[in-house]
Amino acid sequence: MNADDFIEKFAFAIEVEAATLALDTRFKDLPNWDSLNTLAVIAMADADYGASLTGSDIQNSQTVGELMQVVQGRMG
Amino acid sequence: MSAIQGIAVRGIAACVPTKVSQTDDYDLLAPEERQRLQKATGIAAHRVSPPGQCTSDLCQTAAEQLLDHLDWERGSVGALVLLTQTPDQPIPATGIVLQDKLGLPSTCLAFDINLGCSAFPYGLATLASMMATLGISRALLLMGDISRVCAYADKSAWPLFGDAGSATALEIDHSAPSIHVDLMSDGSGRDAIIIPGGGLASRLPPGDWPAQPAQDDDGMVRHPANLRLRGADIFSFAITKVPPSIQRTLDAAGKMPGDVDYLVLHQANKMINDTITKKAHFSAESSLSSLAEYGNTSSASIPLTVCAHAQRFDRERLVAACGFGVGLSWGTALFSLPAGGVLPLIESDHVY
Repeated sequence: MNADDFIEKFAFAIEVEAATLALDTRFKDLPNWDSLNTLAVIAMADADYGASLTGSDIQNSQTVGELMQVVQGRMG
Repeated sequence: MSAIQGIAVRGIAACVPTKVSQTDDYDLLAPEERQRLQKATGIAAHRVSPPGQCTSDLCQTAAEQLLDHLDWERGSVGALVLLTQTPDQPIPATGIVLQDKLGLPSTCLAFDINLGCSAFPYGLATLASMMATLGISRALLLMGDISRVCAYADKSAWPLFGDAGSATALEIDHSAPSIHVDLMSDGSGRDAIIIPGGGLASRLPPGDWPAQPAQDDDGMVRHPANLRLRGADIFSFAITKVPPSIQRTLDAAGKMPGDVDYLVLHQANKMINDTITKKAHFSAESSLSSLAEYGNTSSASIPLTVCAHAQRFDRERLVAACGFGVGLSWGTALFSLPAGGVLPLIESDHVY
């Protein structure tokens, strides 16, 4: 799984520029983060990676990189 | 699951109250949040019952008009099943009250089933199976819910849910096409949509009611008798578990998505429904929606959506109806609707 690719898809899902995100970005601290973004990220993980995330997966992840690892663990 | 033989769906009616609540007017969200909510959920408005109107009233209006449309004698109805999560009172079952209010004979069996979002496939399977087994020639399947169980201050629930009641008429017909169903449940997800208080498990002595509203861990202030929705968990469940249920139903019937005229999903929200439609390989045009005007109407959402598109049922249609949510409970039913069997949506604030 390519980190740049994941960041790009994550950014697209939550409607921010990919350049504003990195693996160590604490995504829930972003000014536009809200509960609807949680749904958008779950949809992205499902559609782009075939990975099933729950609300608590997102609740328990702090950074984009942590969430990427969760998605990676759920693939295939 | 085996197909149900010899039962025809004769007609569907649905009723909503007249008061429209626009998402744009929900003052607990900032204007830009209201826009964002509408874009993600597809819900621009929902209907709100006047204080005295109950599930039974909305269902009764729908049932009266359907019986008249079909020209069915009240005495010919042998069963009434109501699916609701918001009965008029804890006991007795509201379906039994409706047997009397609708003027149905005492030979008509009546009871309630406690299901919400998955009500339609479960109700159809339960009632059609009973009719076929017990030889009940005509029956009414009622579904409805009132959203007053959501706290107005609960931004995660109040703007999403609307009020509606419905009636579906079934009849024994040995030439009727088979009804295929797929029914599933997973009680480990019981916290995803829950009203925690009001039942005996809330362990509040009767004298301690009314309990006071308190802040939940999601920051929303609710009374224990208010509904709590964990949207992310429902979303995750729905997009994972629901498309395979549709697939199993089509496989059992030997059908492809293109053979089905309309997919009618429980109206949860736009992101969920678009994802399920796509994963189940249905076209966006074949998936009917009533979210924009009526929101999520719980148990009534499938019949309401059919009625909101009544003009499309001018000829016989094959419908895949799929409900999913509270329980967790989900299921699909594949059945035919006859030409002219669907009544246009009824508006009424009548209290019986």
